[in-house]
Amino acid sequence: MSKIPQKIDQSYWGIVKRQFNKNRLAVWSLRMVYVIFFIGIMADFIANDKPFFCRINGNSYFPIFKSYGVGLGIAKYPQELANVNWNEVKYDFVVRTPIPYSPQNLDLKNKDYKSPMDEQDVESSRWRHHLGTDNLGRDVLAGMVHGTRTAMLVGIISMSISVLIGIFFGALAGYFGDKGLQMSRGRFWLSIIGFFLGLYYAFGVRSYFLSKALAEGMGGFILQLLISLGLLIGIFALFNLIAVLLKRIPFFGKKVNVPVDIMISRLIEVKVSIPTLLLILSIVAVMSRPNILMVMVIIGFTSWTGIAKYTRAELLKVRSLEFIQAAQSLGYSEMRTIFKHALPNSLSSVLVAIAFGVASAILLESSLSFLGIGMRPEDVTWGSMLSAARGYFKAWWLAIIPGFAIFVTVTVFNLLGEGLTDAMDPRQKQ
Amino acid sequence: MFKYIAKRIAYFIPTLLIISLITFGLSKITPGDPVKLALGNRDSGGDAGQALEKMASEKAYYEKAENLGLNLPTFYFAIASSALPDTMYKFVKKADKETLGDLVSQYGNWKEISAYHKQLKELEFSLFDVVVDNTIFENMKEIKQKVQLLYMTSDDMDITNHIKSLIKNTEGQPRLNTVYMKTQKLDALYQEMKEKKSVANNYIPVLHWYGTENQYHRWLLGNAPWFIGEAKPGQSKGFLRGDFGQSYLDSRPIASKLKDAIPWTLLMNILSLVIFYSISIPIGVFSATNKGTRKDRFTTIFLFIMYSLPSFWVATLLVTFITTDEYGLNLFPTYGLGEIDDDMSFIEVLGTRAYHLVLPIFCLVYGGIAYVSRQMRTGMLNTLGQDYIRTARAKGNDEKTVVWKHAFRNSLIPIITIFSGIFPGLIAGSFIIEYIFSIPGMGKLALEALTARDFPMIFTVMMLGAILTLVGNLVADIMYSVVDPRISFEK
Repeated sequence: MSKIPQKIDQSYWGIVKRQFNKNRLAVWSLRMVYVIFFIGIMADFIANDKPFFCRINGNSYFPIFKSYGVGLGIAKYPQELANVNWNEVKYDFVVRTPIPYSPQNLDLKNKDYKSPMDEQDVESSRWRHHLGTDNLGRDVLAGMVHGTRTAMLVGIISMSISVLIGIFFGALAGYFGDKGLQMSRGRFWLSIIGFFLGLYYAFGVRSYFLSKALAEGMGGFILQLLISLGLLIGIFALFNLIAVLLKRIPFFGKKVNVPVDIMISRLIEVKVSIPTLLLILSIVAVMSRPNILMVMVIIGFTSWTGIAKYTRAELLKVRSLEFIQAAQSLGYSEMRTIFKHALPNSLSSVLVAIAFGVASAILLESSLSFLGIGMRPEDVTWGSMLSAARGYFKAWWLAIIPGFAIFVTVTVFNLLGEGLTDAMDPRQKQ
Repeated sequence: MFKYIAKRIAYFIPTLLIISLITFGLSKITPGDPVKLALGNRDSGGDAGQALEKMASEKAYYEKAENLGLNLPTFYFAIASSALPDTMYKFVKKADKETLGDLVSQYGNWKEISAYHKQLKELEFSLFDVVVDNTIFENMKEIKQKVQLLYMTSDDMDITNHIKSLIKNTEGQPRLNTVYMKTQKLDALYQEMKEKKSVANNYIPVLHWYGTENQYHRWLLGNAPWFIGEAKPGQSKGFLRGDFGQSYLDSRPIASKLKDAIPWTLLMNILSLVIFYSISIPIGVFSATNKGTRKDRFTTIFLFIMYSLPSFWVATLLVTFITTDEYGLNLFPTYGLGEIDDDMSFIEVLGTRAYHLVLPIFCLVYGGIAYVSRQMRTGMLNTLGQDYIRTARAKGNDEKTVVWKHAFRNSLIPIITIFSGIFPGLIAGSFIIEYIFSIPGMGKLALEALTARDFPMIFTVMMLGAILTLVGNLVADIMYSVVDPRISFEK
């Protein structure tokens, strides 16, 4: 009997996938990442003081869903439920989340560090604080669940920012190198002047309107910001138009090299020279009212260099391959060649950088919130819960649990990065 | 080689300048009034009833501003709207500067705006001549408050309302007659400002050149003579000559605060460095030479776990479980460096310090061991696969010679890369551990500065960190060519 040969996917990603699946640790890490994402996304439905559904005095409500509307400013709680303690309302019928507490809820009957093992002052085991409480009586389990969401958001927000910046700069530097980008002399100088003049008109002159709009509300501010950005782009484009006209004069029409690689490598060097933690501390110090979201954004803006380096190195390799030359000789625009042909073929190593980047971003954020930087008192994260353990040495659960969660998350992403590196290593291809 | 180093140092300067610009720029957009911060946030006489008191506090304010060099232009040049005067920097108070700037954005006619501002000042000072009695006590309180608000707002509706309230409070009060007249004039000037609006001025950018008498120049290079002569009192020597300015927190020179803190951080980091390098290099080599065996797998997993353990968690666990009596294990001190008496002998002092430093140094060391060993293992594995190692074996060298004599030096490349990170790490590498164990080093200093918004301190630490990073990179580049002669910098 001869076996029917199975069709094996021999594409690059097919091979990588097979290699990756051989690594049991990496596969388990990926599953763990799914679990973390699931908890992060569903946090409101796992731990919440508001019920899914309740019936009070004959009226039906869906408080969790309502709270999203209220958060967005498109709905209001009904008068009788505007400022209630959800855990003390008399319900006719109620469907609750598995953990009936929000991380901010203060359970005054169980304040001052109730251990998970001790007797707790609760009505039934349904209301028990399974992982104990902190000094204010906040449920640790609920905090852990919502801390997962913070960790997930750190990963997503910081990494998307640094991926965007990193890939953009890395691609430009790697694709053009120092000799690849040529433009007329007139255009080169006019672009620079146009950019700075654009900045002046868009943000210098309009700074008053921008700050006024920011004080009044987010919507107006975004509108003003868009107007400013439009102005910037408009002025920049106008100067480029003038450059087209100037081309006819020989002096301005002469082609010059733009050393993109040198400029971007210099930028990366400057960025890398400032210790990240110090840079973040200084930026947070400058903000008048920092919060976690801003900290995430700052982490994103300060950790793009790794990805930029990877992308640059990959594109340096890719740009001399035949299919890029083919694309160039077909007369495709440079942007199209970069983003449609060169980049997709060099993203694999960026994936590795992203996995490790998520791990270090989560670690960085938790150490910042451990130090209490950028934290408002009502914010609950793994780092802030861990630092609460320092106030009371008897609270072993606060010392162990949040730290363990940080450890597991960081390990999982590191393992994922290792697994990807191994799977993509060409030496492993059989 | 020498040429290469010279070239690297020449590159060093523009990078350093850009970093100094970033640092300086950040320090300029900090919220709050720096002079007020430096004066300990005392109110500069907003509510002080007496003219003399007000004058004194104003004087103190301007003296402090001059002392800090804040009455100078910010940078060598400025690009500003043509509506603003080129001496705008002379308005030292941040609130004044902002309000005037906003008014200019709206109306664009500096002459009228400055007339309005002057009148407002005159109005404020005329309040001191008023003899206050019961009949006008409430009015005066209201007036003073409104005048302060007028200094801070540029919104048309707010200004109109405040002026209206001023007129209402002063009208028909014989004692407040002069104030009333001045308010009327203020109102007239404000109306004139609104009528003679010329916003177009805002759209013409103008370049102002200020020369070297500016804040950036003074911060970086100082205004004291360079090679000959002594610095007069009040002159600063600038950042590059080691004059980092004064802390807002306690007015102590930053250099002296650093001098107290740096030794502890240096001690901790150097000790842990020595320990983890001397442990992890053998581990890495061992693990690489035994690749694939059970020992190697065990070491790799163990190192990986150590690498992923956040040091602040480990530190918290240690502090919680083995420094107190709660869990029956009071083995080490919880925090600090211990009490030192004058009559303690050197050995005793050393013992106390060492006893207190065990845990913090352990926390710094274990992560380093994990990281460096892993790098060492990778480096060694890469080298062991090279052709010249096969040649060395073929020559009949025993394994020990092959590993330590032929492979070891070349596998040090990743270790050197890590080593370059050590220089900034010397001052900024142990922030969290110092914070947890309350060790009075750089980390504690920087975090304290952060909570107190002591900006000169924060930005000094940042600048120093950046400079040390640059030095580290340079040293690493030189060492690359020392350990691996194939790396050459002569092109």
